[in-house]
Amino acid sequence: MGKFIVLAALLLLPVLIFTIVRRTGRKHPAGHEHGPAHTHRHIGHKHGGMLSIDYFAYSSKIRGWNPAFKVVLSVLTIVLCIALDNVYVSAVVIVSMAYLVIAAGGLPPRDYLSVLTIPLTFILISILAIVVDFSAGPVGQWHVHIGFGYLYTTAPMLKKGVFLMLKILAAVSALQLMILTTPSSEIISVLRKARVPGILVDLMNLIYRFIFILMDVFARMKNAAESRLGYRDFKTSCYTFGSVASNLLILSLKKAGAYYDAMEARCYDGELLFLEEEKKADIKVVIPAAAFVLYLLLLWYLTRQAV
Amino acid sequence: MKKKQKIALTVSAVIALALGVVPAAGAMHIMEGYLPVAYCIAWGVICIPFLVAGWFSIKKTLTGHRKSITILAMTGAFIFVLSSLKIPSVTGSCSHMTGTGLGAILFGATAVSILGIIVLIFQAILLAHGGLTTLGANTFSMAIAGPLVSLGIYKLSKVLKINKHVGIFLAAALGDLFTYCVTSVQLALAYPSAQGGVATSAVKFLAVFAPTQVPLAVIEGLLTVVIIFGLETYAKNELTEIGFLKVG
Repeated sequence: MGKFIVLAALLLLPVLIFTIVRRTGRKHPAGHEHGPAHTHRHIGHKHGGMLSIDYFAYSSKIRGWNPAFKVVLSVLTIVLCIALDNVYVSAVVIVSMAYLVIAAGGLPPRDYLSVLTIPLTFILISILAIVVDFSAGPVGQWHVHIGFGYLYTTAPMLKKGVFLMLKILAAVSALQLMILTTPSSEIISVLRKARVPGILVDLMNLIYRFIFILMDVFARMKNAAESRLGYRDFKTSCYTFGSVASNLLILSLKKAGAYYDAMEARCYDGELLFLEEEKKADIKVVIPAAAFVLYLLLLWYLTRQAV
Repeated sequence: MKKKQKIALTVSAVIALALGVVPAAGAMHIMEGYLPVAYCIAWGVICIPFLVAGWFSIKKTLTGHRKSITILAMTGAFIFVLSSLKIPSVTGSCSHMTGTGLGAILFGATAVSILGIIVLIFQAILLAHGGLTTLGANTFSMAIAGPLVSLGIYKLSKVLKINKHVGIFLAAALGDLFTYCVTSVQLALAYPSAQGGVATSAVKFLAVFAPTQVPLAVIEGLLTVVIIFGLETYAKNELTEIGFLKVG
C-alpha cells in the first residue's frame, strides 16, 4: 500500500511544478479576467499595492460563515494532521480542504493551486535533506560516490520523505481554508474574543491597515524610480531599492504622527473599536464539520497499523 | 555613490553571481505542518520569556507616551512590507529581505520580538509564508535569535571602533546567517539523520539551503547599509526620535 501512495505522490509532483512554471512564465493571462486589479500572476506579492490572498478572502463565497468557526476548524485540522501523522488523514484533508475552498468558496482552482505551491521550493529543498544521507562507506539501496564519501538513500527514507510532503501539503491546505476565506480583520477580531491582550490586538489592527498604505506608497515610488531607469542593472537597482526603502521609512514615520492626530480627533481613548458584522454559526455547517473531525479520528484509528 | 559603496556592491554582485540565486528564495520560514507537535510546543515555550520582556517594554513605552502606538504600528508594517518586497538579484529571480537586522539596529531587540511575532502572523495569513503551528520556531529564529545577534554585533563594532557602516553591514548579514543556522538546527532537531544523528542532519540542512541563503545574507547586509545611508542623510530628526542617532 505504501508503494502506491509514493507513486501517486510522485505523479502529483509534476502537476504542481507545472503550475509553478505556468505561474512564472505567464504574467499577463489572456482571456481570464478576475477584475481590474488582478491581472498579474504573482501570488503573494504585491501588485499595485494589494495582496492577492487578501483579495481572495474578501471575494470568497463562504466569507459569511462565522469567522471563529472557520478559525477553529482550520486550526483543529492542522493540529490533527500533525498529531495523528497518518498519510490517509493527510490525503483526506488535502482533498476536502480543496473541495471546501474551491467548490463552496468559489475560488478558481488555478488560484488555489498557485497559493498552495508558494511553499513548494522550501518543501522540496528540505525534503531533499531528509531523503538523502551521507556516510563513509557504500551503504543503502542507492548511492553515489562524491569524493570523500557516499550520498545514499533507501526506500524507507524516500517513503518517509513523501509522507512528510503530504503531511505538509495537508497542513498548508487546512491553513488555506482559513486565510483564503476569512479576511484578516475578522481573524483579528477572533483573537480579541480569544482574550488576546488588547494592546496586541490594537497593534495588529493598525499594522494591518498600515501595510496597505505603505504598499501603495511603495508602488508609486517604485514606478517613479523605474521610469527614471532606476532598475537599469543590478548595481543601480540595489542603490534604488535601498533609497526607496529608507524613504519609505521616513514617510511612514511622518504619517504615523498624522494618523495619531486623526485618531485623537475622533476621541481615541487607548482602545480601538471597530464595527463588526454579526455572523451566526450555522448549525447546518457546524454539524458536518464536527462529523469531519470525527471521521479523521476514526480514519486514523482504523489505519494506524497499515502504514 | 561613494567609492567604498561601489566596491562593496561589485563584490556582492560577483558573490551572488558565483553562487547563483535560486528562484523564489525567501527568508527561511518553516512551513506549516513541518514540525512534530512536541517541537512546536517546545519552541513556543522557549519564546515566552523574550516575548514577555518585549511585552513589558512596549507596555511601558505606551503608558509613557500613548502617541507611540502609531509609530510602533508603522514600524511593524514597515518590517512586513520590507520583507515582502522583491529585492534586486542578478538572475531576475525573486528573493526577499528579512528586515529584522535593520529593525533591531533601529528599534532595539525587545520591541522587535513583539513586532516580529505579529509580522510573522501576517506573513502566514497574507502571504502563506510560514504557519501557525510553526510560529514558535519561526519567532525564535527570526524575531529573537537573529535580531539579538545583529544588535550584539552592531554594539560590539561600535566598542571596537570599526567603521559604522561596515559594522551595520556585518550586523545585518551575520544576523541573517545566524537566523539561517538556527533554522537549520531546528529542522535537524526535528528530523535527525538515521546514522549521524542531529549533527549530520544539521550539516545536510545547512548544505541544501546555503546556495539560497548565503548570497541573500550578503545582499541583505548591503541593502541595510544603503537604507541607513539614506536615513542618515534625510531623516536625522526622525532617527533621533526613535533613538538611533542618540546612541551612536
